[in-house]
Parts: sequence; C-alpha cells; structure tokens
Amino acid sequence: MNQFIYGLILFIVLALPPVSNLLESIMIVHMHMQMPLLVVAGFFMGHYFQLRFPEFFQRWNENGIPGILLFTIIMIYWMIPRTMDEALTMQSVQLFKFISLPFFAGVPLRDSWPKLSLRGKNILITGFTLMFIGMGLLYVLSPEQLCNNYLLVEQITLGWGFITMAICMVIYLAYKTFINEADYE
Amino acid sequence: MIKNSQTTLSCILVILFGFVLFYVGTDGFRAYTAETARLYKLMEQNPTLPHVTLEDSNSRTYPISDLEDKYLFITFMYTNCGTVCPILEMNMGQVFNLLPEEYIGEDIVFLSISFDPERDDPATLAEYKSHFYNADGETWRMARIEDEEELDQLLETFGVIVIPEGNGDFGHNSAFYLVDRNGVLIDVMDYTKMDEAAERVISILESEKGA
Repeated sequence: MNQFIYGLILFIVLALPPVSNLLESIMIVHMHMQMPLLVVAGFFMGHYFQLRFPEFFQRWNENGIPGILLFTIIMIYWMIPRTMDEALTMQSVQLFKFISLPFFAGVPLRDSWPKLSLRGKNILITGFTLMFIGMGLLYVLSPEQLCNNYLLVEQITLGWGFITMAICMVIYLAYKTFINEADYE
Repeated sequence: MIKNSQTTLSCILVILFGFVLFYVGTDGFRAYTAETARLYKLMEQNPTLPHVTLEDSNSRTYPISDLEDKYLFITFMYTNCGTVCPILEMNMGQVFNLLPEEYIGEDIVFLSISFDPERDDPATLAEYKSHFYNADGETWRMARIEDEEELDQLLETFGVIVIPEGNGDFGHNSAFYLVDRNGVLIDVMDYTKMDEAAERVISILESEKGA
C-alpha cells in the first residue's frame, strides 16, 4: 500500500502544471526524465493493482508476455517525434500520455518483469538497446528539425542521450554475460 | 490450458491495440513528425489567406488581397537568419528561374514574408533583396507584416511555427506555399525540391491556360 501512495504522489507531482511545463520545456528532460518517471509512478502503483486484482493478472498476463508487449508498444509510441510535439500542442494527447505511460507501461512492466525468464529479459534489454541506438542516430544525424516545438540543438542533445543510455545497457548486458555473480558471493 | 489461451488472446488484443494506436497516431503510418502531419492536415483543409497588410522593400503598404488576382508563391523568413533562410530564398530563386518568363508577374508573384517585423524594415528588406538576383521588388517581393496580430494569424493559418531562440534568432519550419487566385492555399512544397515545385506550378498554370 505504501508503494501505491508513493507512486500516486509522484504521479500527482508530475501532473502539476508548473512541474510538467518545466519538464517539457527541455526536450531531453521531456523524453528521458518525465516519461520514465511516469512509468516509475505506474510501476509503484502497480503493486496495489496486483494485490487488488490478482486473478486478472494471473489470467491475462500469465507468462508476462502480453504485459511486456504492451509496455514496449507504449514506449515506442512515445519515441515518435510527432507524439512529443502533439503532447505539447494537443490536450487529448497530453492526457493520453499521463494515462498510458503509468498505467499501460508502468503497471504491466511491474507485473510482467518477474514473470519473464532470464532470456526474455535479455532479449527485451537487447531490443531496447538496438532501438535506442537507432533513435539516437536518427535524432543526432537528422538534418531536419523533427519536432516543431524543439530546436535542432535540443534534438541532437536528445540523440546523444539515447546513445548514452544504449551504452549503459550494453555495459549491463556485458556485465551479465561475462561476470559470474557467484564468484563474488 | 484455458488460462494459457487467455494469455494468448490478451497478446493478440495488445498487438491489435498497438496497431490501432500507431495507425491513428501517424495518420495511417504516413506522418511520423508533427511537420508532415501538419502538411497533410493543411492540404485537407485548404485554408484561405487571412487579411494581412504588407509593407514591402519599396516601403509600399497594401493588403495582401491586392496581389490575389495572381498566384502567390510564398516563403516565410527573416533577414538576420544565417542558416535555413538564405538557402530557402536561394531555392526560391531557382524556382523563379525555372518558370517560363511569360508567367512571371503576369500569373504568379513571388513573395517572401518576414516574421521579424521589428528588424526587417523596408530598408533592411531592400538590402537583403539585393542578394537575390531575381528579387526585383515587383515580380518577387519581400515584405513584412507590421501588425503582430495579423502576422500571428497568418502564421497560424499556414502552420508556420516560429520559436524565438532568445539571441535574436528564430527556429522555424520552412516550405514553399502556393496560393491560388482566390487566396486559397493549394499546396505546401518541400523547399529543397525546386524542380518538383517548379513543375507543379507550371502544370497548374498550364492547365489553367488550357481550360
């Protein structure tokens, strides 16, 4: 229950207009801070839903795959340049952002992650690594301004942010592959 | 077994949801940036030119409707711009060159509109105009819109987004805008594809002559 409260508080704080305006004013913060934090808020709140509706998750997300698919779809959707622009210019898209990221990405991630096999987890992280490299290159190399609401220089910053995240995930994967944790226990 | 099939079903539902989400979100997998979406929408709406008053490089002031019996080939720029605008205007000059002379000034007028009226007074525009060989001030005019409300309305109608960068520069989207004799926006074209733009204009003017 505590977790739910923390998640809810985080969600409410993020939804406060001054907070969301501030975070959205910088492109990289919009994509790499506000959006992940919304997922985190959903991740915390998810615990409550798991306790409240165990049957639902057991039945419809038995092996974690539907949940992780939903999570991935929502994440990819919010990486499209257009959706970021429209979140700023259209109320309905903004509302969808605040609903989809916590509840369609954070909650299913919470339920699905422990259900996935190690292989499933590695596939997911590898997939996201490749995607982040791709998005990073797109944002860094694109000669055009992809988002009308953000300047080209911010776009390049965002691209490098993507690439940095990808590098971190590569390090994590390498660590998982080459280091035997048992040696250090 | 039953539980398993439910999970399969939810997989399918999730994928379907994703498909619909992406389909709706990108106008049927066509528009991945707000700019392309804007162009599709503009093309569907065919907005008309709002009432604006131009002040051109010869210090003449007149409503844009004075030019409306001709086609208008419009770009939006500001003279202090060191990046896109010179290219935009140069490319505009190339389209100008590609059109048969008989149409120039008779059927079509080129118009560069500044969205920085504070600095782009007639003298500045005249100086800027001199860098472009074809810009004679008549068949290719450069003008500002002094009234901020009018300017904003025009930019909004044509979906031109201008972001001040704080240091006197602006971030903005660029395109060729083609307006017909009734003041209706009929096409927004890629400013880097001069041949295509010229062909498009010629085909419109020719079909009109033929009719």
